[in-house]
Parts: sequence; C-alpha cells; structure tokens
Amino acid sequence: MSAPQKGYKRSWKNLLLNKRYQLRFTLFMVGISALLMTGLGIWVMKQANEATTVAIDRVRGDACPKIPELTDVPASDDSGVPMKLDDGTDVKPAGSGDAGSAGSAAAVAPQVAPQVPSSVDPKDVAKHNAQSDLLAVKAIWCTTAECTPATAEPMQIKVKDCDAYVKGKLEDADAVKALRKATIPVVKCDGGQAFTVADAPEERHITVQLDESSMTMTPSVPGDYADRIVQHWTCEIREVGAIDALKAGRMRILWVLIATGLLLMFGLAIYGIKMTHKVAGPLHKVSLYLAKMRDGRYDKVWNLRKGDQLVDFYEHFKGAHAGVVSIEKDDIAHIKTVIAAAEAAGAGDNEAVGELRAVLARKEKSIE
Amino acid sequence: MSNDVPSATVVQDGKLAGNAPKNGAPRTPYKRKLSNYLLDKRLQLRYVLFVTILSGIIAGALGYLIYHQSATASDSLARAMDDPLFAEVKQTAIAELHSEDRVLVYKMIGLGIGLIVILSAYLVIMTHKVAGPLYKVSLYFDKMAEGRIGKVTALRKGDMLQDFYGNFREMHEAVHTRMQSDVITMEGAANGLRSKAASDPKLSEALDAFDRHVTQRKKQLL
Repeated sequence: MSAPQKGYKRSWKNLLLNKRYQLRFTLFMVGISALLMTGLGIWVMKQANEATTVAIDRVRGDACPKIPELTDVPASDDSGVPMKLDDGTDVKPAGSGDAGSAGSAAAVAPQVAPQVPSSVDPKDVAKHNAQSDLLAVKAIWCTTAECTPATAEPMQIKVKDCDAYVKGKLEDADAVKALRKATIPVVKCDGGQAFTVADAPEERHITVQLDESSMTMTPSVPGDYADRIVQHWTCEIREVGAIDALKAGRMRILWVLIATGLLLMFGLAIYGIKMTHKVAGPLHKVSLYLAKMRDGRYDKVWNLRKGDQLVDFYEHFKGAHAGVVSIEKDDIAHIKTVIAAAEAAGAGDNEAVGELRAVLARKEKSIE
Repeated sequence: MSNDVPSATVVQDGKLAGNAPKNGAPRTPYKRKLSNYLLDKRLQLRYVLFVTILSGIIAGALGYLIYHQSATASDSLARAMDDPLFAEVKQTAIAELHSEDRVLVYKMIGLGIGLIVILSAYLVIMTHKVAGPLYKVSLYFDKMAEGRIGKVTALRKGDMLQDFYGNFREMHEAVHTRMQSDVITMEGAANGLRSKAASDPKLSEALDAFDRHVTQRKKQLL
C-alpha cells in the first residue's frame, strides 16, 4: 500500500525561477510606480503646502480680543490725595471740607480777583516805582555814607575808606539788586575809584523750597477684566491649536505619501514576483520537459499545479509533446512492419534491418 | 497520423507558415498591430486590472487628502469673509474659491485617468512582450501536435522570455535533426531491402508503405 503523496507547496526559495524575466518585469513596474508616486507626491505636497499656508494665514488673521491695559488715572473720589505743588497758593487736601466735597483741581485752584480797569495814569505809576527804587538804594547805601542816588545816573558816595565800603556793598546781593532796579550804572567814591555795577557778581543761586507733597495712583480696573483675559487666552490657545492641527494635517499627508509609496513599492515587488512566478513556474516546468525532449526522452507530461497560469499554453505544449510521441509511435509501427516483413523474407540478417532495429530500440526507449 | 498534413514552411520575417504567399512575392516586414497587443487576454488583463485598480485606489486616496486640505482652507477663507467689510466681494470670492476647488478636483481626476491610462498601456505592452513569445511558441506547439516539425525563427527584438525561447528552439532543432537522421536511416534501409523485395510481394508491399511514410515524414520536416 503506497503512502498518499503530499501536496506540492510553493517555496519562497523557488519564487525566482526566471530571474531575468521576473526581476525585469518587477523592477520596471516598481520603478515606474516610484517615479509616478514621486511626481504625484511632489505635486500633492505643493498643493498641501499652499492650502496649509492659506489656512494658517487665515487663522492668524483672526485677531484675538486684547487684554485691557491698566492705566493710572487721577483719583476721582474722596480717597485720593492730589499732588501738592509749591505754586504759592495754599492748597488744602481734598475732603477737608473747605475746598468742597468733590476735591477736584478746580476746587483747590487759587481764587482770582475780577479784573477792573485802573484809573491811575501809567506815568504816575512809573514815577512812583522809580522813587521807590531810589529810596531802596538810599536805605541800603546811604545810611552810613553820604550819597544822593538818581535814576540812570552814576551815584557819588562820600565815606571813610570809600573803596572798601563800596567793594563790601557790591558783594551784597540786595545792594546790587537795588542799584540795578534803580538803573544806577556806576558807584563813584568821592576822590577815589569808580565801580561799575555790571561788574558786580550776578545772583546765581535760586532757593528752592520743597514742601511736603504726596501723589495717589488710582488704577482703573474694568469690571469684565477677568473675562477678557480668559477670552484672550482661549482665543490664543485655539489659534495655536488650529495652526498645529493644520501643520499636523500637512505632515500627515507627507507621511501618508511616504508610507503609501513604500507600501506600494513593497507590495508591487512582492506581487510582481509572485505573479511572474505563476508564469515562470509553468515555463520552468515546460523548459524541463523541453530539455528531456531535446535529449530524446518523451516522458509522461504531468499537469500544472493549482493556481499556475499559462494553463492554455501548457495544453499547447502537451499537444506538441503528444504529437512528437505520436510521430515516434508511428515510426515504430512502420519500422516493426518492415522488420517483420524482412525477417519473413529471410532478410533478417541484412545490415539495413540491423540499422532499423537500432532506430526502433532508441525510439521505443524514448517513449517509455 | 494523416498523410494529408501540409508541409511546414517558415518565412524569413518570422511569420509562421501556413498562410505564406505561394507566389514568391516579397512580404512586407511584420509590424505589431494594436489589435494584436492582447494576445493572451486572461494573462495580460489580470496584470493590467490589478495594477490599474491599485493605482486608482492610491490616486483616489491621495486626491481625497489634498482635496480635503484645500476645501478646509477655502472654508476657512469663506468664514473670514463674514466680516461686513467684505460684504461686497464675499459672494465673488467664495465662488472663486469653490471654482478653484473644482478645478483642483478636475485636475486630480485628469491626472488619475492619465496615470491609469499610462499604466494600463505600459502593462499591456509589457505583458505583450511576454504573451508574444508564448503565442509564437504555442503556434509551433500546435504544428508539432500535427506532426509538423519545421524550422523556427528568432523572436522579435524587445521580446522577453528569450531564455525560454532558446530552450524551445534547442529542443525543436534537436528533434528535427534526430528525425531527419531517422528519415535518412529509414530511407537507406528501405533502399537496401528493395533488392530482396523483388522475390517477396509482402516485403515489397511493406517497403512501399514504408516509402510513403518516409516521404511524408520528409515533408513534415521541411
């Protein structure tokens, strides 16, 4: 009892039976696909980049609500203390009751007397002022010395140690100031030197007095400040998220392209080899039979494996094989007839019959 | 084996015998015809359909991705037009955006169809280069099945399966040579026995039949 034959299984090692045909076909197909995929990929990425850029610009174009700035405004209520400036007026603190409950700047402004036209002649006023200036000079300069000041005229002075006296007076700022107000240009000692008032040193120092002052900064906070901050940052985060999503979409296209391309290459390579194997397999089998036929052996031809292609072609081959076998059998039949007739005629030992026997033996062996 | 099988002749340009002109007029060189490209429909269309469908799926998926991205950008721009500032140009701009999207779709469809047409044409041509030699060998096989072992010519330039065809050609020539040798041997043997046949009618009759068989075989080997 013979053991049942195991079904033939294709081996991966045997997939490349006809390397030249299979690899050429597969590599060409893979190469063409790679070129097409690359071209398509570049075009797709160009479109995707444009679309992504437009979409990102659009997202960035939506301005988010801004956070309101906190500004320092002057106190408008009673709690604020306005800055006190030394403007010569008596500024009272707001809320003291005297300046009014509003405490506004207007409330603390100095009171200005109403303007009334003067009935005094301006000449009399000027004359009066000049007299005052001369009196001031006299009061400073002429108490211990003899002098008679006159407006816009040199002042003659007579005193003991006049030069020293005048020098000392000219160092007194008030004394010089009085001379200048009275437009007295020169002070001349009687029998001594003359001193120009213009040469006296200028009064260079200004006395600044800083009184106690204070300033109250009152920031103004809108009522919906917190909501607007939340709205601002929600919008910012949403925009960043949208831009990230768009960039991710672009990258997804790129990765899908690369993965698809690689998958396509790999798939086509496998498919190409497997498909061509289904063609190369029968061709390989036929090639083996062809080699046998070349060597004069016409063995039995077996069927193809399940799934093989070229079934019709294989049927043609089987027909050809059967045709050659038929020729051989026909030859064998005719040779046998002639040999039998020759032997019957007593020519069995003839050389020609021997040659026919040799041909017969070879032909019979070839179809065993 | 019938005796009325026509002799096999192979002409110079590779066209098989059987339909060769008898008047000796020069034949025009054989050219591939468009209608002959699908020689083995089952084999060729299987490849073509597989690759075409695969390419169509890939192109469709990529097309959908890019259209989605473009449509998203267009919608985004359209939403930006909600501002009253753009009220006058809104409809025109949106129509233009949709028009551009449509143009993109048409372009992708065109590209996809182009891809499919190019791939299909390429595969038909490529498979034809396989199916062509197989078809040619099949015709020789058919002649061998009829007992005609003539001569074979080379494949056309650019055909594939050159190795396989080389194997076939070797076999064909070996069988042809061997049969020719057998014919010569049989013919010589028949002539050698002809002197004995004069006194034996049965041998004479057998040799006559043998001669006819050898003559027929010689014709088949032309």
